[in-house]
Amino acid sequence: MRRSNRRGIPHGFLMSLPMYLFTLFFVLAPLCYMVILSFLTRAEVWGVVHEVTLDNYRNILTPVYLKTFYESLKLAVICVVLIILTGYPFGYFMAKLSSTWKRRVSMLLMIPFWTSALIRMYGWIIIFRSNGILDKLLMGLHITKEPLKLLYTYPAVVVGMVYALVPFMIFAVYSSAEKMDWSLVEAARDLGASPAKAFFTVTLRLTMPGLLSGVVLTFIPSMGLFFIADILGGNKVVLVGSLIQEQLMKARNWPFAAALSVVLMILTSLIIWLYRRVTKVRDLEGFY
Amino acid sequence: MRRIMKKAALLLAVVMVLMALAGCGDKKNTETLNLFTWDGMFPQEVLSGFEKEYGIQINYSNFDYDEDMLAKLETAKGGDYDLVIADDYIIEIAIEEGLVQKLDKSKLTNLANVDPVFQGHFYDKTDAYTVPYGAGIPLIVYDPAAVDIEITGYEDLWNPALKDNVALIGNYRVIDGIVLKMMGKSFNENDTAVIEEAGKKLLELAPNVRLISDNNTQDYLISGEAAVGFLYTSQVTMALAAKSDLKVVYPKEGLGFGIMAGFIPSQAPNGDAAHKFLDYILRPEIAAQCFEHIGYVCTNQAAVPYLSEEAKQSLSLPEEAQSGEFIMDISAEANETHERIWTEFKAALN
Amino acid sequence: MRRIAFSKLYIGLVLVIMYLPILLIVIYSFNESKISSVWGGFSLKWYEMLRTDRAMHEAIKNSLILGALSCCAAAIVGTLGAVGMSRIKLRTKGAVEYLSMLPIMIPEIILGMIFMTFFALVGLPFGMTTLVIAHTAFCIPYVYMMVKARLAGMDASLMEAARDLGASPWRVFFDVTLPLIAPAVMSGMLLSFAMSLDDVVISIFVTGAETNTLPIKIYTQMKTGLTPEINALCTIMLGVTLIIVTLSGILGGRKKGDA
Repeated sequence: MRRSNRRGIPHGFLMSLPMYLFTLFFVLAPLCYMVILSFLTRAEVWGVVHEVTLDNYRNILTPVYLKTFYESLKLAVICVVLIILTGYPFGYFMAKLSSTWKRRVSMLLMIPFWTSALIRMYGWIIIFRSNGILDKLLMGLHITKEPLKLLYTYPAVVVGMVYALVPFMIFAVYSSAEKMDWSLVEAARDLGASPAKAFFTVTLRLTMPGLLSGVVLTFIPSMGLFFIADILGGNKVVLVGSLIQEQLMKARNWPFAAALSVVLMILTSLIIWLYRRVTKVRDLEGFY
Repeated sequence: MRRIMKKAALLLAVVMVLMALAGCGDKKNTETLNLFTWDGMFPQEVLSGFEKEYGIQINYSNFDYDEDMLAKLETAKGGDYDLVIADDYIIEIAIEEGLVQKLDKSKLTNLANVDPVFQGHFYDKTDAYTVPYGAGIPLIVYDPAAVDIEITGYEDLWNPALKDNVALIGNYRVIDGIVLKMMGKSFNENDTAVIEEAGKKLLELAPNVRLISDNNTQDYLISGEAAVGFLYTSQVTMALAAKSDLKVVYPKEGLGFGIMAGFIPSQAPNGDAAHKFLDYILRPEIAAQCFEHIGYVCTNQAAVPYLSEEAKQSLSLPEEAQSGEFIMDISAEANETHERIWTEFKAALN
Repeated sequence: MRRIAFSKLYIGLVLVIMYLPILLIVIYSFNESKISSVWGGFSLKWYEMLRTDRAMHEAIKNSLILGALSCCAAAIVGTLGAVGMSRIKLRTKGAVEYLSMLPIMIPEIILGMIFMTFFALVGLPFGMTTLVIAHTAFCIPYVYMMVKARLAGMDASLMEAARDLGASPWRVFFDVTLPLIAPAVMSGMLLSFAMSLDDVVISIFVTGAETNTLPIKIYTQMKTGLTPEINALCTIMLGVTLIIVTLSGILGGRKKGDA
């Protein structure tokens, strides 16, 4: 190891050079520009004026925009909790399947990715709309008497979000669970731990990296996937994502959109950092 | 699993390379026209007809919002695109920004076909830059079978009988604007105090709103998801085509009005082809095909005889709409107020 | 035994729910009526329309080229990056890693916005180049994460042995490391390609005059009225994917039998 390190440094650096450069030019530089933009003033008709101001940030403190942040966070938390509840067992069970079935199930999970996400949401409209499939089913089973107005409600948005994002959680948990040393669980059981205790003390701990990356991969998009709120929520749920889009595309207020973006990014980074501190997981697990 | 992935990827790579090769060939030789507008603004037959007749290949690219278009045009400094069709207010800005070239009217032999009602408006007073292509008035449409009250104006949308039953388009200038209209003000009110007041009134509409959507709003009316809709003209046309017993209301408080028009960017690479295309779509029979397809009010008077009977009805500008008010660009401050009250309104919906 | 049955039942149930909307899309692609809420009888007319829609063909072609270019670029940069990073201990490593992961960690709309304003600032003309850069940016994380995870679970002694036998680091990379991480690279590429093929929010900000992509076409079509033509397209995409998967399954299966 000592030798390889000494010889590895220049080569390792050379190999990661493209990524360093790419990140520098096409991630860091645009980000810096966005931060600068957030301190500028919008022009009367089009574009920005180079006048430094804090107004954009002050504007965010307006109650209605603060409330938008709060609502977005609330929706994201609800979605992520539901995603964990549905996706974690799936990934965990999947890791216990035979290798043939693992392959088949992961293929089945991948295939929907190859159709347009927008169109998949339209499939949900067919299910949810009044006198749609769900209504007919429930009425056929005499559970409900009249059409429920399910479409364009908060739950419809949550279902859409969970549906769109749960595969990320499944893959993340699965990759952790698959690599897990099951003998540790057995050892805990042999030492007299109940299945529940063995799960919480051993399995959950060992799959935590996967769970964390699942949370990171799903929490942030659930604040930004405004088209789901648009298609399934009838635009009634205001997300920071849709607010930024509206500022950018309709109100033409780029600096305010940039300020909103900066705040959102700080917020999400903070949440990731907090989560890492709490769970003491340092590294993000790949979701393969 | 990994082996399968690898195989799948390899196969995929082969397919992609083949597709790429198949696509890369014959493009450069023929003249092209870079058309930039919303999706679905022309029927396929019209586009193919032009390509066949002139031997010019059309490159049809889409934007979602007018602002998106302007951003692209700004960065291209008026280049890249040959013909843009967009809304009136954004064209005004584009002209101010120097991104539009004057039309060479000697190349537009069919220009006289344009109905003068749609010419000489605020965005292009001398008609030097633009050719109108469709006009619209947002209107109320409702299903009389599902609504107990008679709807005659915007004010009726606030009626408690319509609880959770109204579908709205998502353009805040229009929706905030109808409140301003109810208050006897203009769509283009610049006084922020008045706009604030309109915002308060708008909040009272929240319980009645079933959904807000810019996309396919008419579908919700057709499927019975909502009983009343406040829709764009093309959506009104589509709604009526699918469900003829729907009732259209020209709100008594006054109408909004908008024109879409085509223009040629200042540095258009194929300006000549753009002129040819503009002239082509001004031909009466071609224009009739176009307007039946898009469902906006027909701006071509020579095309009217070629329209079907129903289309003549639905695509003509009614008497009362002549007084419709344009929705124009307003001050940045007023715009910010609009944006805020709109967000407040949406937050109150849930 | 009961536990196993339950877990299979659960997986089955979730998969059924997952495929339900997709099944409906397939069914409605044969809908005679243009309006998605009304069933007007069986028809193949949307497939016929798809066959003659040249703007659609152009968009599909652009999307496939874009997907291929950006997933290849991401594979090269991401794989080299992951392997290289595992060999170095620079202080900036953590920061660069965090930054390069940002494109999938921040909402797409922000990414689209910063790319648009930035490209406008540096004067890069919008078109395939800007699209590829933007897509590569959000594809790198997928490749990087997968390769990194694979490297972490790998037996380092193999590479160690190769090096001890006098192989240069580059030889070690190509002869030992790369074959071992190839599956991770491949699945990273597959996922990147799928993500690129599906991206609308970022693309719409950075696309140019001659590069309409398929998702942009679908998204903007929603404005004027989505026709079942899109359903038909989705059905075909699904069909092609299924054929590829099945074919590779057969090929893979045979190979296994031979070995």
